[in-house]
Amino acid sequence: MVVHWQDVAVAGGWGGLLALERRAFLQAMFSRPLVAATGMGLLLGELETGLYIGMLLELFHLGSAALGAALPENETLAACGTTAASACMASGEGGGGTPALWAVALLLFAGLGMLGRRVDRRLERVSSGLADRALQLARAGELDRAVRLHGYGPLPYVAVFGVLTAGCALLGFALSPAVHALPLSMLRGLAWAFPAMACVAAALAARASHAQRGGLWATLAGAAVVLGTLASGWLRR
Amino acid sequence: MMVTSTSGLPRPLRWRVFRRSLFLQASWNPKGMQNLGLAWALYPALQWLYPEPAARRAAVERHLSPFNTHPYVAAAIVGGVLYHEERIARGEEGPERVEAFKRALMGPLAALGDSFFWLSLKPAVGALCCALVPVLGAWAALLFVVLYNSVHFALRIKLFRLGVHLGDRLVEGIAQEHLPLWGARLRGVAASCAGGIAAWLALQFGTQQGGWGGPLLAVGCLGLGGLSYGLVARGVSTYLLLVLAGLLAGVAGAFL
Repeated sequence: MVVHWQDVAVAGGWGGLLALERRAFLQAMFSRPLVAATGMGLLLGELETGLYIGMLLELFHLGSAALGAALPENETLAACGTTAASACMASGEGGGGTPALWAVALLLFAGLGMLGRRVDRRLERVSSGLADRALQLARAGELDRAVRLHGYGPLPYVAVFGVLTAGCALLGFALSPAVHALPLSMLRGLAWAFPAMACVAAALAARASHAQRGGLWATLAGAAVVLGTLASGWLRR
Repeated sequence: MMVTSTSGLPRPLRWRVFRRSLFLQASWNPKGMQNLGLAWALYPALQWLYPEPAARRAAVERHLSPFNTHPYVAAAIVGGVLYHEERIARGEEGPERVEAFKRALMGPLAALGDSFFWLSLKPAVGALCCALVPVLGAWAALLFVVLYNSVHFALRIKLFRLGVHLGDRLVEGIAQEHLPLWGARLRGVAASCAGGIAAWLALQFGTQQGGWGGPLLAVGCLGLGGLSYGLVARGVSTYLLLVLAGLLAGVAGAFL
């Protein structure tokens, strides 16, 4: 097994940084799958892998939102972890990313969003402790220390999600020899799996848009793309 | 709407509070939710308004009570709290007014923010940029950030200013933004873009496959998409649909 430790560290760093953005600062959508995975792909030298996995997961998680106190699945961990694993699977044996590798990574790692939600829930207890402590300090008149505790809130998230993403990269390297030894027929099948999963993710996105007559709009747009493509092909002949 | 400033807080201090409000969620917790974040954001203003330690402590404590709203729309409440805290510091109203202000607005504004930002703007920009991946490549990811944040930051700053200048009357200002109407339009954009990209993916990968398998792959992908749209409405797990589609297409690709 070949492991590029620099890639593992970069994956962990990017995963941790985006956990900070998602949780604590700005929430300017750098942590959304399309952006997070494309960034991960760029950092690991597998831009196309990041872009296509990010696109699929963006569509899959399009309707997810933190409404009130409810926690959504952690789409950032799913995007970063899946892309890191796929990129490392590709580079472990010296090849490039392919739809077959993207499909393997998605089948194995796309469920990380659910794990991320569990971790988020656990880490909220740490934040509850900080809030209790802040209240005690404020009552004791130590106001500066009380409000400063707020800054410690994101640190466990950065550490835990950084480690989890680095772990995905490491798993990618570990799986690389096995994936590259798959028979050709299976790789051809996996290459079919990626567009099928992407189409399903897009259909789920149309449903998650909550648009009135969303199905109709999606069908009309899909039909327009099909007709446009067929017309352009016919004109080229 | 005419905006009349009644705030005597120095402008740089107000903007410092605004900048700190960008960290509102950092210590979100199930008990107090955004309470510690709100207290942290307001602290420089409270230090300025209440030089006397006992009054300052009371002010910090009243903002450590449970607080939760949409993190972007919270800018309006943070601005409104500054408006009220200044009046409290001048002795023009009691501290119960600021607590009532927060209690009255955090729920409705959370619903407005969730509906517009989380359930309309984010899906619309996300789906639009996914649909532009075939044209723009990786630049679509950058476009996502730019498009989303041009709306997000413009509204966040505007809401903060409304809160600072209008106090309780900020609801009138927010109503003039017509956010629910824009939200409905954006949701239609999201659905259309999702349908368009599904068709493009099916055709693109079908063409790449070539031969007799190409049309089969394209039609199969579109069929699976349509089927999933119907099944998810009947409560079938989205993960199950994703994995089943992958396995079904995988078997077809391997053996056909």
